[in-house]
Amino acid sequence: MTKCWRAIAASVTGSSHEKSGQPCQDAHNYRLLPNGVLVAAVADGAGSAPLAAIGAQIAVKTAVETISNLHPLPENESNLRLLLLDVLAFARDSVEAVAKTDNVPLKDLASTLIVVVATPENVQAAQVGDGAAVVRSGDGSIIPITTPVTGEYANETIFLTSPHALSLAQVNVWYGTPAQLAVFSDGLQRLALKIPEGIPHKPFFSPLFKFVAEAEDDTVALAQLHDFLKSPRVTSRTDDDLTLLLATSF
Amino acid sequence: MRLDEAVEFAENPEPRCPCVLLLDVSTSMSGEKINALNEGLRLFEADLNQDELAKKRVEIAILTFDTRVKVVQEFVTADQFAAPKLKGNGTTSMGEAINQALDLIQIRKQVYKENGVEYYRPWVFMITDGAPTDNVEEGMRRIKFEEEKKRVAFFAVGVQGADMNKLAEIVVRTPLKLKGLSFKELFQWLSASIQGVSHSQVGEQVPLKPPTGWAEV
Repeated sequence: MTKCWRAIAASVTGSSHEKSGQPCQDAHNYRLLPNGVLVAAVADGAGSAPLAAIGAQIAVKTAVETISNLHPLPENESNLRLLLLDVLAFARDSVEAVAKTDNVPLKDLASTLIVVVATPENVQAAQVGDGAAVVRSGDGSIIPITTPVTGEYANETIFLTSPHALSLAQVNVWYGTPAQLAVFSDGLQRLALKIPEGIPHKPFFSPLFKFVAEAEDDTVALAQLHDFLKSPRVTSRTDDDLTLLLATSF
Repeated sequence: MRLDEAVEFAENPEPRCPCVLLLDVSTSMSGEKINALNEGLRLFEADLNQDELAKKRVEIAILTFDTRVKVVQEFVTADQFAAPKLKGNGTTSMGEAINQALDLIQIRKQVYKENGVEYYRPWVFMITDGAPTDNVEEGMRRIKFEEEKKRVAFFAVGVQGADMNKLAEIVVRTPLKLKGLSFKELFQWLSASIQGVSHSQVGEQVPLKPPTGWAEV
């Protein structure tokens, strides 16, 4: 029997952006495709870019739509990698097109982008910038598919709109049976990963994966996820926008 | 399931925002000027500690220079910082002071890297009321190089009596002239500016607040 995915995702405004009246500059998008394929994207708009929220929205929407249109995906690993790079390039082109139409500098729409395709046999991810994708395999181990890419300084990273963004992108394919999956923006990075190595913190992910695996009602689960991201325990550790996408196969 | 009760967080050190105060304590600074500077430092300490994130992220070191350069305060986070009481006496070894400040930053970055601590671009904030009495050529070269490589942001403030033209040659950024003895306003501004950096998110270039209230235009 072909497996299926169930996903929930939330993006919430960080307390620093609430204070300054800025919108949430994170965005996410996902779609369930035939044959048990999940495609998901998360983007984090640059704090300094005035139209970052829009740039992030365009990036995730384009990425998910492009992959959906290309379905079914190639099975050969090198073809998969090329396809993911094409998806990043396509997302970048879409953002560029908007910049041209609206006559604004491309960097005003700067955001990171993580694209994940999960099938019953493997998980593929392409990423520009920080944030990460983490998978729990059928045997219970928690594995990073991508790791955050940062510059020398804590407030630096690469954006989809940066020069050479695509040549600096991570493209990884993990072969195995995925049980659960998490994709998140950099706001959660210091809580979820051991920095700077980017190793997933098991006590962070285990309860979240258990939660999504056992959730019965998507609406209730989504509200719980939202409450978690807004809870004082989280907001006292990070004042950034937060996005967390959780998925489970069944 | 209450997620916020079930989920445990990774314990990562806070990213650090290093700031070196490079302070002229030569004879000409003694008296009124140094008293006002000391008061400003006390205010700096108090102000930084009002911000929960900044007090864990901002790291301060103090180097003073007269005839000699002295490390008055090694790098500490703001919550550990106690404002020193400085006295003025001697000549103005600014060149040597600049070199030592840049060395101190290089060493600090190494410590961060070895301990897996993330950090923001370091700041050096130099305050002087004179002109260098030692050779400043190497210091000048290093400031230009380090600014170009974005390894440091080097600011200079001239107190009454400072050779502003010479200062402008030494630093890349336009030096500012302190209005009278408004050290309090200066340190309030510095505290607010560095708090801004310590809260900044990825990709954010934090614009400095205009130096209203303490700088001459």
